[in-house]
Formats: sequence, structure tokens, C-alpha cells
Amino acid sequence: MTTTKNKSVFRWLMAGCTAGLMSTALMADEAVITNSFYPYNTETPSFDGLKAGMVIDQSNVAQFKDAIDPAFYGFIEQGMTTITVGETTSFDLHPNYVEATRVSLGQVSLGNEVGEISGWSAGRPFPEEPDANDPRAGEKLAWNYKYGYNWGDSAAIYPFYWKYRDMDSGKVERTIKFNFHFLNYKGRVTQEPTPEITPNPSDLFRAIYVQVLDPADVRNTQLLIHRAADDLKRDNSWLYLGFQRRVRRLATGQVTDAFLGSDLMIEDFEGYNGRISDMNWTYKGTRYMLMPFYNHNDLTLDAETHIDSDGYQVVSFSGQGGCFPDITWQLRKVYEVESVPVDESHPLSKRVHFMDAQTFTIPRTVSYDRKGSLWKTFTIGQAHPDHHLPKNKGSGVSIDDSFSMIDVQASHCTTGQFKGQVDPELSPPQMFNVQHLRATGS
Amino acid sequence: MQTTIKGLRFWCCTLAGSATLALVPMTTAVAAEDARVNGFYENATYGREGVGLSKFRNTLQLEGEKRIGDVGIFSNVSINGTLRGTYDGVYDLNKDEYGRTAGGAILLEDTALAPNPDPFVPHGGGIAPTPNFGFDINQNPNDGMIVLGENLHPQDGGVGFGVPVRPCDVDSRGCIDDYLDKDLNELRFQEFNDRADFIRELYVDFDLNFDSGNVLSTRLGKQQVIWGRTDLFRVLDVINPVDFSRNNIYDELEDIRIPMWILKSDYRMGPTEVFDGLAFDDLNFQVVWNFDQFRPHDIGQCGQPNVILDAGCFFRGMNNLWENGGTVANFANGSIATDFGPGQIGIREAHLPSWSLSNTQLGLKLEGVYGDLGFSLNALTYRSQLPSLRGGIPAENAFTGDTAVWPSLIAFDIHFPRVNLVGGSLDYYSQGIDTVFRVETAYTSGEEFANTLREKLYSESDVVRYVVGADKNIFIPALNESQAFLFSGQIFGQHILDHEREQRLLGEAGIPDWEQNWIATLLIKGFYMNGRLSPQIITAHDVRAQATAVAPSVEWLVNDNFRLTAGANFKVGDGARKFDDCRTCNPWDPFTAAYPGQPAGESAGLSGYEPLGRFQSGPIGMAQKEDEIQLTARYSF
Repeated sequence: MTTTKNKSVFRWLMAGCTAGLMSTALMADEAVITNSFYPYNTETPSFDGLKAGMVIDQSNVAQFKDAIDPAFYGFIEQGMTTITVGETTSFDLHPNYVEATRVSLGQVSLGNEVGEISGWSAGRPFPEEPDANDPRAGEKLAWNYKYGYNWGDSAAIYPFYWKYRDMDSGKVERTIKFNFHFLNYKGRVTQEPTPEITPNPSDLFRAIYVQVLDPADVRNTQLLIHRAADDLKRDNSWLYLGFQRRVRRLATGQVTDAFLGSDLMIEDFEGYNGRISDMNWTYKGTRYMLMPFYNHNDLTLDAETHIDSDGYQVVSFSGQGGCFPDITWQLRKVYEVESVPVDESHPLSKRVHFMDAQTFTIPRTVSYDRKGSLWKTFTIGQAHPDHHLPKNKGSGVSIDDSFSMIDVQASHCTTGQFKGQVDPELSPPQMFNVQHLRATGS
Repeated sequence: MQTTIKGLRFWCCTLAGSATLALVPMTTAVAAEDARVNGFYENATYGREGVGLSKFRNTLQLEGEKRIGDVGIFSNVSINGTLRGTYDGVYDLNKDEYGRTAGGAILLEDTALAPNPDPFVPHGGGIAPTPNFGFDINQNPNDGMIVLGENLHPQDGGVGFGVPVRPCDVDSRGCIDDYLDKDLNELRFQEFNDRADFIRELYVDFDLNFDSGNVLSTRLGKQQVIWGRTDLFRVLDVINPVDFSRNNIYDELEDIRIPMWILKSDYRMGPTEVFDGLAFDDLNFQVVWNFDQFRPHDIGQCGQPNVILDAGCFFRGMNNLWENGGTVANFANGSIATDFGPGQIGIREAHLPSWSLSNTQLGLKLEGVYGDLGFSLNALTYRSQLPSLRGGIPAENAFTGDTAVWPSLIAFDIHFPRVNLVGGSLDYYSQGIDTVFRVETAYTSGEEFANTLREKLYSESDVVRYVVGADKNIFIPALNESQAFLFSGQIFGQHILDHEREQRLLGEAGIPDWEQNWIATLLIKGFYMNGRLSPQIITAHDVRAQATAVAPSVEWLVNDNFRLTAGANFKVGDGARKFDDCRTCNPWDPFTAAYPGQPAGESAGLSGYEPLGRFQSGPIGMAQKEDEIQLTARYSF
């Protein structure tokens, strides 16, 4: 009997310990999820002297030097622009994406080479807080960006206005009107089919399709990028030239060239539009910084550039040369990550990315030329989906809503004004085939 | 004048009217997403060395698109139209070269007069050994003419004859009905002709979606269908004929393809697994039915600034010889200017295929992407858009007055034979050298070539053509630190598989075209001022002709609407070449025998620049003296 009793007690103790351990583990896992996706649940960012509603300009910028990236700090210091501070708000990503992260938590690992990953099917691959002692922490953050919820499973910027501006005179030299479309083949969590579109013979991860609508000399230029799931494989890219009516395959080298004469290279799209394996990634630290996150509908908008029947207007620009979006900035948790091109002939020596910890978008990037001098600085304004187009409400997508790529050396910029739409109808899979370029273009 | 097909003309005009009516209200709805109208005005002013103004072309083009959406079982229904009208003022501003007062009196070489320091006779001043020789100078006066090829080469002991150069309403001599017969207004206003070319494109698009996700996309109407992956030279891109009279081979094909009424259907399968282990990223099957009445290339009419290979001048001069007779330099005994009578030598007529179901043209293409490889397989049955001169027509023997078919007599009809083509193309991106390679190849049967070894002076040959191209972006920091230069090179090869050539007593005879030849092209393009200033240089080198064209240009986008392009086009190399000219073909044996016992119809191989040397010089060599400076301004709206 005693033996039996002892066994029974032991069983209960074991069960209790196991349950306790599991419970502790579950709680730990949930803490990782909460910390990664809801960082402002428990802590509100603050910075000495900074409060919502204030304007940071030449006169007071020095006080906030540590909260502003050095390139943008320089702009304010020189009186080129100001920052209007807004409240920090949570940009909750779609719960399905969060759940996919929860399901695969701890199952994702890096391979031996940069660009190798295993165990990922959907969600954020490395939601844990980056460890400064982890030599591959930067690479993990890059993966979090690549597999981020970005535009969701599919979306379109429809339309998308790019203006080439002389930063000294403010003259708009060129206005190009595009449509941009994005489609994830893998890691899909909200739009059917999930988690992958099949058939997918080339094992693609993502595709981007771009069509130029105006002006006449580049009308119907189209770009299609296929990104393989295998990061070690190079993109396949095709360009349809309207004036030739012909699809031309692009040498990938052309993704580091100015796209249609703008200040952006294809590799710049969305903050970074290349392979993880093309760069060496270094995590530089975590801090609260002012980042361009706002409610689109609360802004004073540009009433001239875009007019449509639903009354949507795009973000306006002002400041030196009209190169700065008229938006508000929030103090947010940011990971600073440096990427150095593996290819020594790459036109850049490095980029410094300021990744938003909650959304893993890259709202600020600073690029340096081969000599190490500041060359370009990229701002992507992020709009909350619930304060944007009605169709975007509840999408859980941090909407890319405005951009400014400034070539500091040439004193020139390209600005972007978006109508971002999370609408699968606008980006059907057929759109991302090479034949679609021909069918649409000629 | 060009053929008028009443039904087609009515149809074209009706559609043009409809298109215009459709486009007019669209101009008030430009902002709407489902309708678009835009266009441009362009002035192209070219100056040619030794000639002066060679182009003052003013173009107005309107393009419109109306998206209709879903109609019944069809989706993505849309209507597209492009209207283009041009006025080339060169025919009024430089009429001494290209208009109603072009040309003049000519002298033709008679080397038998040597050592006379001026061994020439006027047109009409040749010998007439029998009463059948000779012609009526009043019907074929020595006026308004040039000597064939005079802009490129001297007569130099070879064949030469007069070519009328004025518009066909001013001087109808040598104008070939239905083929090369433009009057002054058709030269000035090129698109306003009986084929309603001012309707550059007019088509309707519609899709039929299948449950499988596949789509049948159809385009019906006047359109361009583009095959292949190469620039400048056409290997697979042969569905639409080309207007070479616009700017020889140097304009974008987009602007010089002659749109045709075509039904094009694409069955778009997208990513497709054909069977286990064989899956394509994209697969598409296309059927093209060109049901329009046949049209050949516009090779340029003699008297226009651009006459590719100078063939239009050869044809016009030859037709004039047939219709009116004329003087041929250095002919009798290979040295005496000779006056031929009508119906003895020359070009009689052009046989343009009439419309019939059997004369329509059909193409099939399977195109797709397999891994890193883009590919297409193509097949097309069509009519040669280049003319073939077939001898063997009845003509008068100038010695006997008999009319019969004479062997190897230089008396021709123009035909456009049926050609069958199979081919394919590939593109591939090589990661290792960051270079895209493009390959295109075609095998044709049914093409015809001039051949002085054959009694009818032509023969058929299978031909293999191919292009291998490579594109690479290269940074040249000394020239541009921020943006790479595009280098795009191509090798175009042509192999005439049934080539014939023999050494005869006085030289080579046979097919003048090179059995194997290659043309290499290189484009280098740079970008400055955010792409708004773009210098480029295009070079093309014909290996066997030893002829090179160099075309530098700078394009400046002043703003979104206004573009200026300044350029030049220079040629260097050997220019004109000589080949058997069939003076010694002995068609009227024994009167024309070059040596005792020469078989009738067998060439002895005496050669000169005209008429067959042009096939060795090629389009670059034959334009050797056409160096130009060019300024183009375009305002888009």
C-alpha cells in the first residue's frame, strides 16, 4: 500500500512538475509573442522632453539627437525639414500571422551559410529579442523582414506616383505613375489559398509586378520580379519595354541600377528588395527612435496629384525641394541593422536599416557609397490600416504610404505617393507570369 | 496606285470612323481609369551629306484605349486604337532631290569610246544594231532621271541605266502597279493611302476564363504581332512587314512594322505541370492568323530618301526598260552603250498575292519559362515580304524580233513566294557573369535568291538565320559614378544552305548573296540627370560586306512631355561591290555569245556594280553615302 501510495504521489508530483514546466514554457513563449508583436502593451516609449504634438526643428533638434537617425538629424539641423511628433500607437499585424508565428515558434533555424533557413512555413521566423552576442542576430532580423507581413499575402499600390525633384530648386522634373502589385506564394496566412499557391514549379516565395502608366515615353514599361524560396538563388527579372513591345530578361546587376532614372534601385524597394545572402548583416542595437508612422486620414493631404471617385488623396510633400512627406512621426522600438554587400562591385558600401520592431518594416534606411560617404537616405511612411482606405481596415498590414529617397550627393530626390490597397482582386496570380507582360503591354 | 479592295476599304474606313468617334468622347474622360487618350507630335529633321535635307517628317499620333470590362462570357474586354498621320516636307522643301523636279538628264558609260576622255553617251544615245533595238526618246525622255546607283558608285565599266525618280503622278515611268507606285501625296502623307495606314492599330481584346484557371486571350484587329527577342534584325519577328522607307533599318521596329489585320489568340496556362517532373513556370500557346491581304515590305520607291539596298531604284529602272526601252551602259560586247526596245529586258510586273484563304498566313508559338530559361518554339507559314525576281518570262529577241522565253534573259516578273519557317528562341541569365543571353534562330524553306547559274536567274534555298545576343550592365566610374552603362551586343548570322557559286571565264557567277555572313551590332547606352539625358551609340558591322554603320545619339527629356534627340548616322567601309551582271549570259544565242561556243543562257561571269553587287554590299554598304545628322523633337500629350 505504502509503495502504491508513494508511486501515486510521485506520479502527481511528476505530473505537477511537468505541467508547471509546460506552463512556464508556454508563458515564456507567449511572452516572446507579446514582446515581439505587442511591444507597447506593457511599455510606452518615452524620450526626455519629447511629447506628442511638438515639432522638432533646427532650434531643438540637438535635444533629440539620439532619437533620430543621423541622416535625418542632419536634414533637420540644416533646416531642410521638421518632424511633427505623434502619439505612439500599436500597429497590430494580422492575428493569423501572429498565430503562425506562435505555431512555429522555436522550430526555425539558420543554416550554415548566410541565406539558409529551415523550419519556416509562415509567420515571423525569429520573434525572440535579438541578442547582441549572437553573431547572426542581424541575419535573423533580416529574415524577419523578408518573411514579414509587409503587404500581407498580396496587395497593390494602385496607383503610385513617383516624382523626381531637384532638391535645390524644388522643380519636379518628372512624374511617373505606376501600379505596383505584390504576391506572396508562400507563408500565406489570410488569403486563400494558404499557406502556399500551387502549382509553384520554381518554388517561388514572392513576386512583384510593376506597370508604368505615365508619362508617354515610359508608358507600359513593366517589371516582373520572381524571388525564389531558396534565398541562395538569384531573382529572375523581366522588363517589358513599351516602346519595343518586347519582354527582356534583366541581368540581376540591373537591380542595383537606378530604376527608370529615379533615385531608387530595384534593390531599394520596400527598404531592401534583394537576397539575404547578398549582404552581410550586423545587428547594431535596439532603441526608441522617431519613425514615420501615422494615421493617413488624419493628415493634411495632397489634393492635386491624385483624384478619384472615392475621394482618396495621397500624402503631400514639403520641406527642402519638396523632398519630405508631410506626416507625423512616432517614438517606436527600433532595431538598427547594417547590411554590407557581399559583392565588392556593388555601388553601395553599406546600408543602415532602422527596422520597426513591431511590424518589421524598414521605414528608414541610410545608404553609403563605395567610399563610405553618405549617399542616399530612404524614408517609407507607414500608415495604420484602420485609418486609411475602408478596405484596408482590419487587414493588419502596416501600409507603405509615402516615400522619399534623397540622393544627398546629387541634391536630388524621388518621392512616392501611394494608394495602397490590400485587395487580392487587384493582384491575381496570373498577373505574375511573364506572359502577362506581353498580354498587357502590346 | 495601290490596289483598292472595295470591301476592305469600306471596312477600314468604317472602323476608322468608329475609332475616331470612340476616341473623341474619351478626350473628355481622360482622368477615368477605364479610358485613356494620349498622343504626340513629332518633327524629325535629317540632313544628308551632299543632298541637304533628307527628312522633314511631321507626325501626329493619337492612341486611345477603352476598357469595357466583362461582356457576357468574356472578361477584360477593351478596345485600342492608334491613329498616325505624317507629312514629310522633304518632297516640297528639297524637291530637286526628292520631289517633282528631282533628277535630270543623264550620261551612260560607253567604254568602247575609250580612250576618249569622256566615254559617255546620253540616255538614248546608245547603239541599235538591229531595227528591233532602240526606243522612242519622246516616251522615255532623258529627263527626271538618275543613273542607277550613281549616289554610291561610278559606272566603272559595268551596267548602268536611267532611273526616273519623280513621284509617280509627275512621272509614271518605272512605277510598278500595286507595288511601287506612290504619287506625290502618298510620299508626303505616307499613311493616307488605300490601305488606310492612318489607322495604325485598331483592335479589340477579350479573355475567356476557364475553370482550370487558364485563360484564352484574344486580340482581333489591325495590330503588330511581335515574336523573338532580338533588336534591329528580324529572325522570328517576321509576321508584320516593315516600312524601310521610313529610316532604312534604323528606326524602332515598333514604329516601322506595318500593322495587319490579324487574329491572335493566346491560351495562357501559367505555371503548368505537364507531367510528373516536368513543370513550367509559365506556358503559353499562341495561334496567329494574319487574314489581311498580303503586303510586302515597303522597300522605298526610287526618289525617296530611304531605299533599302537601292532595290527600289533597280526595280523602277528595270520596269522603265521593259515598258519604254532605254539605254544600258557598257552592254554590247561588255563595253558599248546599247539602246534596248520595250519588252526586251527589264521587269514586267509584280504579282502581289490577292486575297484568298490560301494566301493568308498562319503562325503557332509555344512560349514559356522553364526554371531560369525562357523559351519559345515558333512555326509560321507566310509570304515572303521581300520580292523575288523570276526570269523566264516571254520577251522579244532584239536581234530577231521573235518573242519567246529566252534562257537567262534579264527579263523578270516580281513574285512573293510562300515561305515556311520553324524556329525558336531562348533567354538565359548567367549569374556567374551577370549577363543575359538571348538566342533566336529560324529555318526557312521557300525563299528565293538571284542566281545567274540558273536559266530563270533565281533559285530557291533553305536558309538558317540566328542571333546570339548578350546584355550586361557595366559601371564605368570615370564616365558615370552612379549609374551603369548598358552594353548590348548581337551577332546575326545567315546561312544559305543551297548556295550556288561557280567560277566562270570572266568571273564568278551564281547567287550573289554570301553563303555565310554575319552582322554584329553593339549598343552602348548611358544615363545621366536621372535618366533624362541619355547618350548612346549603336554600331553595326557587316562582316562580309566590310561595311559599318555608326549611329551616336543623345536623348534629352526636357520634361515629361518634351523630348529632343540629336544624332548622326555614319557609314564606313567598302560600299559598293561587283558581281556577275549577266551581260555575258548569252540569252539570244548566238548574237550575244561572249566567246565562240558559249552555251546559250550560260553566264561567262562578267561583273559590275549593278545590279547584283547590292546583295553583297548589304543594307549598310549600299547606304554608304547616306551619312546623316538627325534632330527629332517630340511633344507628348
